[in-house]
Amino acid sequence: MKKNIFYLIIGFVALLLLAIFWYSVENYTPLFFMAAFVIGVVAIYLAYRRVSDFVEDERSAKISEKAALRTLQVFWVCFCAVSIGAVMNLLYVPKIPRDHLFEQPVQSLVIMSPRIIGYVQLGLLCLVIFLYVGFRLYYARKYGDWESDEE
Amino acid sequence: MGIGSPMKNKIKVFRAMHDLTQEDLAKAIGVTRQTILAIEKGKYVPSLDLAFRISRHFKVNIEEVFSYEDEMPTRE
Repeated sequence: MKKNIFYLIIGFVALLLLAIFWYSVENYTPLFFMAAFVIGVVAIYLAYRRVSDFVEDERSAKISEKAALRTLQVFWVCFCAVSIGAVMNLLYVPKIPRDHLFEQPVQSLVIMSPRIIGYVQLGLLCLVIFLYVGFRLYYARKYGDWESDEE
Repeated sequence: MGIGSPMKNKIKVFRAMHDLTQEDLAKAIGVTRQTILAIEKGKYVPSLDLAFRISRHFKVNIEEVFSYEDEMPTRE
């Protein structure tokens, strides 16, 4: 398979996932999108293995490796901080005065709603993408990806 | 690794001697042209495996293409 066909497949899968995402949001079927996402990624990987004119040498492998490592090093700190915050919310039990024990609405015990968790996850997702792209650009430049040719 | 690295090379000289472009050399040893350019400019230090492949392509010893310019500490 040629490289250009592979890029077309990526575009097609992305469009399909976008449509499924829209459908899942409209009908509140998150599991459907999650399954579609995994299948989409596997399909792209299988297509990638069939590409014949991709040259991935040791320098590009090193750039990917370094970018992934640095992303992980920064991301785990942010992820742990957020997770520890979430665990604290889990462990925290609000003090309810005995006199008003039965008057307190149940909702007050819910510190982190699923909506807030969704926003936090979205933030983490954006962060990991931003970090990886940033580190990849940095190492690509460091290892001479945009060097001018003297020939 | 990168500019200021003690690892120097004469790939450009050998390419000129063999009348090869960066693309030709890259294809012959199975890397991208950008990698050859990065090695020539000292932005990337190749692995031992790639260094041997490059020197074998020119049919010379590895020391003739690559050199380490920093002086090694000597034992008195």
